[in-house]
Amino acid sequence: MLGRLLLHRGLLLTLTSRELAARYRGSLLGFFWSLVNPLLLLAVYTLVFDLVFQPKMGDARPYAVFLVCGLFPWIWLSGALLDGTSSLLANAGLIRKAVFPAEVLPMVSVLSHLVHFALALPILFAALIGSRLLGFDVGGWTVLLLPLAIAAQLPFTAGLALALAALNVHFKDVRDLLQNALTLLFFLTPILYPPSAVAHLPLVRTVIAANPVTPFVRCYQQLLFAGEVPGPGVWLQVVGLGVLAWAGGSWLFGRLEDTLVEAV
Amino acid sequence: MTPRARAAPDGAPEAATGVAVEVRGLSKLYRRMAPGFRLRTLKSAILERSLVRGLSPEESVAAVTDVSFSVARGEAFGFIGSNGSGKSTLLKLVAGILRPTAGEVLVDGRVAALIELGAGFHPEISGRENVFINGAILGLSRREVEARFERIVEFSGLERFIDEPVKTYSSGMYVRLGFAVAVHTEPDVLLVDEVLAVGDEAFAHRCLRRIDEFLAAGGTLLFVSHSLPLMESLCDRVLWLEQGRVQALGSPRRVVDAYRQAVAEAEGRLHQAAQQEAAAEEEDEALRWGSGQAEIRAARLLVDGEERYHLRTGERVEVALAVAVAEPLDDFVFGIAISTPRGHEVWGTNTDLEGWRPRRLAGAAEVAIACPSLQLAPGEYCVDLAVHARDGAPYDYRRRALTFTVTAERAVAGVYAPPHRWSFAGGVEWAEAGEEAP
Repeated sequence: MLGRLLLHRGLLLTLTSRELAARYRGSLLGFFWSLVNPLLLLAVYTLVFDLVFQPKMGDARPYAVFLVCGLFPWIWLSGALLDGTSSLLANAGLIRKAVFPAEVLPMVSVLSHLVHFALALPILFAALIGSRLLGFDVGGWTVLLLPLAIAAQLPFTAGLALALAALNVHFKDVRDLLQNALTLLFFLTPILYPPSAVAHLPLVRTVIAANPVTPFVRCYQQLLFAGEVPGPGVWLQVVGLGVLAWAGGSWLFGRLEDTLVEAV
Repeated sequence: MTPRARAAPDGAPEAATGVAVEVRGLSKLYRRMAPGFRLRTLKSAILERSLVRGLSPEESVAAVTDVSFSVARGEAFGFIGSNGSGKSTLLKLVAGILRPTAGEVLVDGRVAALIELGAGFHPEISGRENVFINGAILGLSRREVEARFERIVEFSGLERFIDEPVKTYSSGMYVRLGFAVAVHTEPDVLLVDEVLAVGDEAFAHRCLRRIDEFLAAGGTLLFVSHSLPLMESLCDRVLWLEQGRVQALGSPRRVVDAYRQAVAEAEGRLHQAAQQEAAAEEEDEALRWGSGQAEIRAARLLVDGEERYHLRTGERVEVALAVAVAEPLDDFVFGIAISTPRGHEVWGTNTDLEGWRPRRLAGAAEVAIACPSLQLAPGEYCVDLAVHARDGAPYDYRRRALTFTVTAERAVAGVYAPPHRWSFAGGVEWAEAGEEAP
């Protein structure tokens, strides 16, 4: 699978830039939307949480900055999975009428959302620097390790997207299921709250610990917000999950591939 | 046609040229989508524990069955057949878009499939960017597209619109750009599925000229079209596919003729049936009238001595009648008229007009009128037959007693198609065969 994707890397990149170009074509701000969206998000959260609600979340202060450290990677994951799931059906013409490597399509979704994530990072860095200037003890040199976390999340997201895309061709409700599952999963991932906030709820704690997205989000929060290097356990988990999801996703895609052309 | 080495008609491809496409025992089964299958959901699949079972074919339809052929390098190979005969499926199997259920496809070299032009065009972005995307889909790198960009745009004739979003293009412009990109991928094997039918006449010519150049440069063409004259002029060999099976394979002339014949026969059967039905329904005065003193018992059309109701322009045709009378008659005329189904008379004559003087008609008689060469243009014709008195009083008049179909290789206007010859003298010049008219 990886070999075939590398072979078609030109196509992958061209289609990804088509995706990005088409999204902003005709809009006034163009690519700036990728900056404006996270900026607005950050501003609203700051207003609502840090100035109005002022939640008691232990060391998660300023809360809005803590929130976006986990939220931006989550948006990459959920956006890529939702788009990736419907990518094969949305491009049915290509698959049916051209000699076309279908596995490229879910990858395009993953990569274009990665670009959005990358474009949101400057906002995040600015917020971290701003918070430090205001005297909060957030971030640190560990931000430099961010590419490692992204490198682990990429195969994780890509593997899931491959599997979901292939399944969605045969079962049209996969996307609806996914949408609901993601909503639920969002609240079961320590994005809105640090794990310490649920320490007194053993059941919730177990579920959160079993949630495969948790180690990724924790990894980002530690690197970006806490300024800590995650322990070897966390690295083991994210790398393991990345490899597992990729292997499983490409296996399932390979199994269902032969029937794709007829089913889309 | 551009002069170039041609494979021997009917024969195996010449060994020296090598084989570009080899298809052996190819079959393709399509899963039949039972009603509701497409709406199956993951939930129901899990509930019924049929996740795996549901994905294995329960009922299937054979689109292509045990097809074998090989195409030599540099050959132009055509596929004909009625709609749904499996031509497009076969092309997609060769292209590698579909996977065969059985058998194998071996292709030597780079393949480009023109099955849908402009696949992957995005309406919101410019023609220029779409050329790069379409090129990437067809397997070109960015640099390769850049090198060809000028030629692609020039070929498409869309210089003025190349920076406009594709959504502002007409469907003809869309197709022109799509074809321009596809033919400039410089494949070894080009698969073309009926895409030349779109676009205007001028562009179709440009496409054909480009295909000629491609063949002249040693490219291999696999071509699906419903245009039989195009098939005959373009292809070295033609494969006729019927219900997914090879019906005939060989020289275009022979296979296309056989196909035309089969189509005409099927049509002939249809309107023979319709004719009998009509006759049974209304054996009335509208189609048959007269005093009954003489009766036309049977009428047959004989083409080259065999009973047939489809023929080609110029074939020998004979109309044979069986006539019976109750009482002997001394005043009788046999007449025949050919007309179009719309009632325009094409030709009519009778024994009286041609100077036959009746003496006696008694018991049973056979009457035949033969044309050594029937010079009718392609189309449908009806035959009226009559026995009547010399003053015109009918004994038995049968309207549309016979109907038949005429086919020909070339279209002809009107109803008359005599053998003919052009000749020219003085300041008239014609382009050589294969040369492009200015």
